[in-house]
Amino acid sequence: MNEKYAKWLNWGALAAIVVGFGVGALAGMPKLLGLGAVGLVLLAFRFRSWRPKVRPAETQTPAFTADPSASSSKKLPRAAAEISSDPTNPQALVEQMLSQGRYALLLRSQIIGNLSPDQLAETRESLESNSSFVPEGEVVLGPVDDALVDGKLEDHEILTCRAAVVRVEPYFLDRFPITNREFYEFVAAGGYEELPIWEKEIWPAMVEFVDETGQPGPRYWREGHYPLGEENFPVIGINWFEASAYARWVGKRLPTDAEWVKSGAWPVALTRTARFQRKYPWGNTMQASRANLWGSGPGRTVAVDATPGGVSVGGVHQLIGNVWEWTASRFVGQHDDDDGRWSPQNELRSVRGGAFDTYFETQATCQFQSGENPVHRRHNIGFRCAVALSDLAPEVTEYLTGAGEADLADDTYDDNAHDAAESTEKVNA
Amino acid sequence: MTRHAELPLESYRLAQYSVQVPCYICEEGNTFDAEFCRYCYAPLALAHQANCQKIRPSMIATIGASGVGKTVYLGMLMDMLSRRTSRTQMLARGAFSITLQQTTIAALSKCEFPEKTANEPDRWNWVHSQVRSQEQRRATELIMPDMAGEAILEEMNHPFTYRVIRSLLSKSAGIIILVDASTIERGRGDQDYFTMKLLTYLSELDPGAKNGSRSRPVSIVFSKADMCTLSSADPEKFARERATGLWQHCRERFPKHRFFAAAVAGACGVREKFGIGEVQAPLRIEPRGIVEPFEWLLGQMK
Repeated sequence: MNEKYAKWLNWGALAAIVVGFGVGALAGMPKLLGLGAVGLVLLAFRFRSWRPKVRPAETQTPAFTADPSASSSKKLPRAAAEISSDPTNPQALVEQMLSQGRYALLLRSQIIGNLSPDQLAETRESLESNSSFVPEGEVVLGPVDDALVDGKLEDHEILTCRAAVVRVEPYFLDRFPITNREFYEFVAAGGYEELPIWEKEIWPAMVEFVDETGQPGPRYWREGHYPLGEENFPVIGINWFEASAYARWVGKRLPTDAEWVKSGAWPVALTRTARFQRKYPWGNTMQASRANLWGSGPGRTVAVDATPGGVSVGGVHQLIGNVWEWTASRFVGQHDDDDGRWSPQNELRSVRGGAFDTYFETQATCQFQSGENPVHRRHNIGFRCAVALSDLAPEVTEYLTGAGEADLADDTYDDNAHDAAESTEKVNA
Repeated sequence: MTRHAELPLESYRLAQYSVQVPCYICEEGNTFDAEFCRYCYAPLALAHQANCQKIRPSMIATIGASGVGKTVYLGMLMDMLSRRTSRTQMLARGAFSITLQQTTIAALSKCEFPEKTANEPDRWNWVHSQVRSQEQRRATELIMPDMAGEAILEEMNHPFTYRVIRSLLSKSAGIIILVDASTIERGRGDQDYFTMKLLTYLSELDPGAKNGSRSRPVSIVFSKADMCTLSSADPEKFARERATGLWQHCRERFPKHRFFAAAVAGACGVREKFGIGEVQAPLRIEPRGIVEPFEWLLGQMK
């Protein structure tokens, strides 16, 4: 309704009520009482379509206390799967998959041949803009944070810390954690009903993977939707199996521990016995403004692009803080010392990176590993996906090497890389 | 052969010995240079501080069964309030007051829980601190000891075994009771019975019990909420449904009470310690619901 018109209607109705009931009652004129009644009818008509104003996104309550009316499906953008597309039209199907973020699936050897040159270019562009390429190389895993004061790791330090040197093949890692919006595509496309993408052992438990209203979806959603205004926030309240299923749906997988650490620590071989590795993606000292942690953030999750200062060398955001991230690896712990070790009976999955409520900075480093029961759906655990270069069609590799965008191996940083690799093998042995 | 020697009389020392220093907890007289009260074993530093700074600190007792997490809760609470710059802040008075915070945080940062508190009162950690909050203009002086759960149980079963506990609970302006939520969720009633026993004992010592004005606030905190999501979702409902005896006792005997849920660890795992066996250890530290019970208690104590 026009605002000006509505305002006049309000005042008119109020005047009619006052004059009608007030003067009518005092002067004993029944005709004026009728005027008051007309005013009441007008007011009722005016507020017939009244709705409370929706608060802006910044002042929304946290996901787990959100007003159910706030997550009305009418106010949310539609998922790509909800927009009807002709399944027989390959062009429309590719467009739909691209808008769902399933570009990695299109770049598989089995599918890439069906793409037109334009579609291939668009798909490659999606890969490059959404993922960071991490070259192959070695990374040190283990409790080496104390030895990383100067950023340099000597072989003898690796031995003393009981750390391990792991070789990683080239891969792509998502630049941002998976957002509510991205996960909504999966939910709306019926991802929770597609049994083949789920681990078989979890099928009986899948009936419990529901939101607060009993709909399939992350734990803190309502009626199958994320809270309004949080489309760019990392998805939380999902367990390891849900994260794995999503990754499979988009043609990717969860990163391994070594892959996750390599993308943040970005190791470089310096000499035959020393290597450079970062404690945090931005360097070796904690800078509170670069990560959303207990002492430095608002005490809740923020948008995935809210801490641009925390970006890694390879352009990966929010590896540290905001939400812990599920990895494909099992939790082994890193405090295995002479006192004891973590029990292998824990059966936990590895989570990394720290969250908005992580209290100690020492527990929010590239190296720190924590564990979580794979079926738990926590308020501070999200995930991001990875895909190995070898899993993509050879055309992608040719394109990357041809364009000269990245070297597939980082050993070229050092002339003595071959010798360094040999010495590392000795360390491993 | 005799030798002459000069021995100073130090009469001022004799004068000091003649004046008794009353213990701040049990009010019994002690010599001025004693470290602990000879009757209740509370540190006399509390009395010296109160005398020289001319203050009368209030006391908050944090009690609960053995292994419920009293040391972790208190240590974490102190650290959080001393690191914070908003709402409620805590400043330790005296170096001895920082020991609890230091030992707790050192252990937690290594993904371990601090060692069990000894039963002997002279080995307990006492905290004397100054608390400032936005709501209160004047700072509050507080004394909070970290007592052993087994000692509390012993005192409840055999009154006057631990004089310090009795004196402290009689004088406390507010009480924080910790209850292990994970044990209750598993259906084991021992936590419920222990807490009921504790509440009965507390109600006997309540200074307002004689004239019928029970106004001492009590925060009941379900600890280890990371292992029990039900308690963190709605602590009051959890108490009503899973710890009926405790809920009923609170309603009847403590008009000022509230249920809370708290967790220090984000998750826990099992660690095999050589020579000891399997122990629970925190996988990461993510404090939740630690400050709220304390702030509520402070508000009620005004």
